[in-house]
Amino acid sequence: MSCTSWAWLVLLFPLLGSIVIGLGFRALPAKTAGIIGTAAIGLAFACGVATLLCLLGEDPEARHHASSLWDYANAAGLDIKLGIFVDPLSVFMVLVVTGVSTLIHLYSFGYMQSDEGYRRFFSYLNFFVFSMLLLVLAGNFVLLIVGWAFVGFASYALISFWYRRGTATGAGMKAFVINVVGDIGLVLAAFLIFRELGSFDYETVFTKAPQVFSVNEWTITAICLLLLVGAFAKSAQLPLHTWLPDAMEGPTPVSALIHAATMVTAGVYLIARTHVLFDLAPTAADIAAFTGLATLLVAGTIALVMTDLKRAIAYSTMSQIGYMVVGVSIGAYSAGMFHLMTHAFFKALLFMVAGSIIAAMANRQNIDEMSGFGKAMRFTSAMLLIGGLALAAFPLTSGFFSKDEILAFAEARGGFYVIFTWLGYVGALLTAIYTFRLVFRILPGKACKEAQELIDTGHVVHAEPENPATGEVEDTDVGFPGSEHHIAEQSWPMKVAMGVLGFLALVGGLVQVPGVDDVIGKFLEPTFADSPLSHIHPTVGAEWEGLGIGGVISIVGIGIAYFLYVARPETPAMLIQRLRPAYTLFHNKWYFDELIDFLIVRPILGVGRFANRTFERLVVDGLVTGTAGTVRGAGGIVRLVQSGFVRSYALLLIAGFAGLALYFLIQSS
Amino acid sequence: MTSSLLWTPLLFGLIGLALPKRLTGWWATAGTAVTLGLAIALLAGFDSGAAGLQDTVDAEWIPGLGVDYSLGIDGLNVFLLLLTAVLWMAGTAFAAFREQERPHLFFLMLLLGETATLGAFLAQDLLLFVLFFDLMLVPFYFLFGVWGSDRPDGTTASAATLKMIVYTLIGSLLMLVAAIATAIIAADGGQISFSIAELSQHPIAEGSQRWIFWFFAAAFLVKMPAFLLHGWMPDAYRAAPLPALAIFSGVLAKVGAYGFLRVVLPLFPDATVEFQEVVLVIALASILYGSVMAFTQTNVRLIAGYSSVAQLGFITAGIFALSADGADGAVLQMVNHGLVVAPLFVIVAILAERSGTEDLREMGGMAMKAPVLAALFLIVTLATLAMPGSANFIGEFYILNGLFDSKIVFAIVAISGVAMSAYYALRLYQRTMHNRRPDGLESREIGLRDRIVLVPLVLCIVGLALYPQLILKRIDASVQQSVTAATGAPEPKSTVASTPPSNGGNTAISIAVPNFAGDTP
Amino acid sequence: MAIEWYVVLSSLIFAVGAMGILTRRSPIVILLCLELMLNAGNLALIAFSRMVGNQEGQVFALVVMVVAACEVVIGLGIIVAIFRRKLPLDVDELRELQG
Repeated sequence: MSCTSWAWLVLLFPLLGSIVIGLGFRALPAKTAGIIGTAAIGLAFACGVATLLCLLGEDPEARHHASSLWDYANAAGLDIKLGIFVDPLSVFMVLVVTGVSTLIHLYSFGYMQSDEGYRRFFSYLNFFVFSMLLLVLAGNFVLLIVGWAFVGFASYALISFWYRRGTATGAGMKAFVINVVGDIGLVLAAFLIFRELGSFDYETVFTKAPQVFSVNEWTITAICLLLLVGAFAKSAQLPLHTWLPDAMEGPTPVSALIHAATMVTAGVYLIARTHVLFDLAPTAADIAAFTGLATLLVAGTIALVMTDLKRAIAYSTMSQIGYMVVGVSIGAYSAGMFHLMTHAFFKALLFMVAGSIIAAMANRQNIDEMSGFGKAMRFTSAMLLIGGLALAAFPLTSGFFSKDEILAFAEARGGFYVIFTWLGYVGALLTAIYTFRLVFRILPGKACKEAQELIDTGHVVHAEPENPATGEVEDTDVGFPGSEHHIAEQSWPMKVAMGVLGFLALVGGLVQVPGVDDVIGKFLEPTFADSPLSHIHPTVGAEWEGLGIGGVISIVGIGIAYFLYVARPETPAMLIQRLRPAYTLFHNKWYFDELIDFLIVRPILGVGRFANRTFERLVVDGLVTGTAGTVRGAGGIVRLVQSGFVRSYALLLIAGFAGLALYFLIQSS
Repeated sequence: MTSSLLWTPLLFGLIGLALPKRLTGWWATAGTAVTLGLAIALLAGFDSGAAGLQDTVDAEWIPGLGVDYSLGIDGLNVFLLLLTAVLWMAGTAFAAFREQERPHLFFLMLLLGETATLGAFLAQDLLLFVLFFDLMLVPFYFLFGVWGSDRPDGTTASAATLKMIVYTLIGSLLMLVAAIATAIIAADGGQISFSIAELSQHPIAEGSQRWIFWFFAAAFLVKMPAFLLHGWMPDAYRAAPLPALAIFSGVLAKVGAYGFLRVVLPLFPDATVEFQEVVLVIALASILYGSVMAFTQTNVRLIAGYSSVAQLGFITAGIFALSADGADGAVLQMVNHGLVVAPLFVIVAILAERSGTEDLREMGGMAMKAPVLAALFLIVTLATLAMPGSANFIGEFYILNGLFDSKIVFAIVAISGVAMSAYYALRLYQRTMHNRRPDGLESREIGLRDRIVLVPLVLCIVGLALYPQLILKRIDASVQQSVTAATGAPEPKSTVASTPPSNGGNTAISIAVPNFAGDTP
Repeated sequence: MAIEWYVVLSSLIFAVGAMGILTRRSPIVILLCLELMLNAGNLALIAFSRMVGNQEGQVFALVVMVVAACEVVIGLGIIVAIFRRKLPLDVDELRELQG
C-alpha cells in the first residue's frame, strides 16, 4: 500500500467511529460506544505509524505525496480537489494527534463513565480527531479551511457539551465565533493566494511563490498576516485568545484534547506548513514572533494569579504556544514542532491530573479550596509532579530540551532575535513559578475536607452539583456532572492513559538531545530544507550553555514558588497588597474581554437595536406607509364619484362619450 | 417532457378538487412526487457540457404580439427546477401530514404555485416569464391571507399579505412595462419578438437600458427581498402558514436572483456594467443589515427571514461580481439556500408546536429528549452559517472569490457578514435546543411524519456538502455564457490587481482568469 | 335622401333618450329611454349600411335588437324583484352601490 492510502485510512477510522456512534446511539451500549471510539483512534494511530514507516522507506528527497479522491469543486478556473498531502510534517502531526488522542479517549472511557451523554461525547470526540487530521493532512488551502472550521465546530460542540449550562453554551459560542474570525482570515488569504498564484494546491503554491513574489512585497505580507489571523484565533494568541480560558467549561478530557494537545497547536502547524510564504515575508514572520512573545508573557502573568485550576493551566497553554509560535516564526521549525510534541504530552497529562482532582473535589475547581492531596491521591500526585516538572522545564524532562532548543536558535540567529532568548527565559521563570504554585497549593499541607474523606473512607465526595463559575445548581438532566465521579486511583483506563503520558513527559525529550541525537530534526528536514533559514544551527556548545541557563532558571523558579507557597505562605497576600495595580490587571486578564466587548460586540448590538427600533419603523415601514397612504388618498378621491346615484353615473358616462366624440371631431377637422 | 413537468402539478391540483377531503393532501403530494420524478429525469438527460438550451419547447402563442410559448432548460435553471420540485414535495408532504382547513383549495393553491414557479424558471420568452412571475403571487396571496395567522398585536394576516402584494405588484407592474418596452424598442418598427434569446442578440440602446434595467431590478429586488425593499417581509413572514412559508422563502426568493441572470445580464449588458456598483452596494447593505437584524431579533421566523435577506445579498453580490466564479457561486448558493431555509422553517414550525411560542426568549433546552431533531437542526444550522465543508461554503467561497477579483473592497465588507452569520445562526440553535428549559416547555422527539419530511432534505444538504461539483459541473457553461453576455470582453483585471513588479506576476494573473481568455474580441 | 337626415334624426332620438335617463327617477322610464337610445343607434347603423351598400350594419342592428330584448327582460325582472321586496321604485333611493 502506498503512503497516501495509509493516510486516507488515518482519516477514515475516526470519521467512521464518529458516524457509527452517532447513528447507533440508541442501539449501542455505552461501553461499546467508548470502545469503538477509542479503537477508531487507536487504528488511526496504527495507520499513522504505517504511513511513517512507508515514508521512512523512501528517499528523503521523495518524501512528499499528494493524492486526491475526487473533484470537490472545479469550475470557472477554481480547481479544488478533495486531496491530501503527505510529507514528514503532516505525518509528524498525525502521529502526535492520534497518539495523544488515543490516550485521551482511553482516559475519557473511565472519566466520563457516569455521564448521561457518554455516546454523544465519544461521537464528538471522534469527529474532533477526524477534523484535526483533515486539517493536518489537507492537500490544499480549501480543504485546510474545511478541517480548520470542522475543528472549530467540534470544539464548540465539546465545550458546550453540558448544554444546559449557560456558561458552557456561552463559552462554546465565543470559541466558535472567534474561530470563524480566524476562518475568515484564512479564506481571505486563500483568495489572495489564488489571485496571485492561480491555485490552492500546496505543491503548486509553494513552488510558484518564490518565483512570483519578491521578498516582503506587500501582497505576500498581506497573505501571511491573514494566515496569522487564522493561526492566532485557533492557537489563542493575543488578541484572539479570550475563548480559550472560557472553553474550560467543557469536560476535562476535552480540555486535554482540544486545548492542550491538538487543536490549539493548529496555528503553529499552519505557520510551519506555509513556511515558504513566511520566508518570503520576514516582516509578517517577525510580527508573528513578537505576538507569540507577548502572549507568552501576558499569559504567564495571568496564570500566576488564576485561582481556577483549569483556567490556570489554560493560560499556561497559551503561554507555551507562544513559545511554539516564536519558534516557527523565527525559523526554528523543527524546534517548534518538537516543543509542540512534548507540550502535548505534559499538558494533556496535567489536564488529566486536573480532571482527577476536580472529580475528587466534587467538581469544584478553585485551588484555594484544595490542599493535602499528596497523601490522598498518590498516583495523581505523582503525575502532577511529573507534569509540573516537565512544564517547568526541569533538567532532563521533555520540556527542558524542547523549550531550550527554540531559545538557542533565536540566539544563534542573532540580531534582535536575541530578545526572544532573554524574554523567553523570563517566561520560563514565570512558567516555573506558576506551575509549582499549583503543585504546592494542591499537594502538601493539611488535607482539605474532600482529601480527608478520600483518605478515611476511600470514597469520592458527593455534593450537590454546582456550576463553579456561577454557583447555580446544575441541571442534571444532561448528565452533568454524572452520578458519580471517577478518579485515576479507581479507574484503570485513566491510570493507564496518565501513566503512558507521564512516561513520555519524562523521557520524551531524549529523542533530541543536543550533540547526541536529532531524531525529529532529521525527520522533518526534507519539509523545511527549502527554507533560507534551514542552515542556521546553534552549536552544540551553545545549546548546552542554553540548557544550563534554562535548568538554573527552572530550579530558581521552583525555589521561589516553594518560598512563596510553602515556606512563607503569607507572602503572596502581602505581595498582592503591595502590587495592587499589577494584580488587578493580571486578575482581570489584562481586560481583553472588556476591550473586545466594547469595540465589537456593543457596537453591533447597538446598530441592531437601532435598526430594529428606529430604522425599521421610520424608513422601511415609512416607505410602505407612504405608498399605502398615497393609494388610500387616491382611493378617497375615486370614492367621491361612487355616489350610488345611478343617474350621476349615467351623466359621467355620457359626458365621457361626448368628450371623446368632441375630441375626435376636433382631431379629424 | 419540459411541458409535462410544467403542467403536472396544476393537473394534479385540478383533479384533486374532485377527490374526498382527506385524500387531497396525499394526492397533492403524489403530484409533487411525479413532478420531482420528471425533474430528476430531466437532470439525468442533461448534457452538462453544453451552454445552450436543451429540451426546448417552442410554439407560437400570440403571433401578432410575438409572444411564444417557449420553454427550455440550461445550466442556469436545471437545479432550480429540481430545487422547486424537492421543496414543494417536502412542503406539501408536511402540510398533508397536518389537518388543513379547506384542503381542496389549499392544495390547489400550492400546486398552482408550483406550476407558476416552474414556469418562471422554464420560460424563455420575456412575456411568458413576466406572466409566470406574476402568477406565482396569486396562490401565495391566498395561502398567506386565508391560512395565515393573525398576530396578537393586531396585525391581521390579510393586512400583512396586502402589504406584500402592494410591494411585489408594484415591482411586477414595472417589470411588465419594462418587458414590453424592451420588445418594442428592440423591434424598432419591425416584427416584435419577446424571445429572450433573440433579444439578447441585439441589446437595445444604452439610454433605454438604464431605466429598463431598474424596472426589472425593482421587481427582482423586492422579491428577494433586498435592503430597503424588504418592508413586506417581517409582517408576511410572521403571518404566513409555515409549510407555504418554507417554500416561499426557499424558492420564490430565488426567482428574483435567477431573473438577474436570465434576463438582466444578457438583455441589458451596458446598464449592468454601469450599475454594477450600485447593485453591489444594495447587496452589501442587505448582507450587513440582514445579519445585524438577525442578530437582535427574538422571533424565530424573523431570524430565519432576515438571514435570508443576508443570504440573498450574497447571491446578488455574486451575480454582480460579473465574473464566472461569482455567478457560479451565486447559482450554487441559490440551490443551497433553498435547501437550507426550507428545513429551517419546518424545524421552526416543529419548535413552535412544542413550545407554543415563537419567541426565542421563551424557548430552550429542547435537545434533551429530541436528539434526532437536535442533530438535524444542527446540520441545517451549520449549513446556514456556511460552515466550511458544506456546499454553502463552496457557494460563498466562489461568490467572494469572484467579488474579490473584481471589487476587493466589497468582498472584504461582505465577508464580515460571514462572521455575523455564525453568531446568529448558532444563537438560534442554542437558544432553542440548549440552555435551561423553561417551565411548561415540552421536549419531545420528532415523529415519523416530520422525519419523512426533514431527513431527505438534510440528506440533500449532506450529499451536496460532499460533492458540490455535482452542481458546479452542470451550471458552469451556461453561467459563463450569461456573464460574458454582460461583460463581453474580459474585465480589465489589471486595474484591481497590484501592478506586479516581475514577469511572474503577469503569468499569475493570466492563470487567475482563464475563463475569459477566449472571449477577447 | 341624403344621409344627413337620418343621422340628425338618430341623434335627436338619442338625445331624447339620454335626457330621459338623466332626468327621470323611475326605473321603468329609464329602461324605456335606454330602448330609445339603442334604437337611435340602430337607425344610424342601418342608414350607414344603406349608404355604404353592404349588410354589415344590418347585422349589427339585429345583434343590438337581441341585446335590447335581453336587457328589457332582465331589467324588467329586476324592477319586478324590487317591487316585490317593497322597495321604492326610485333610482335615487336605491344606492347600495355607493363606494
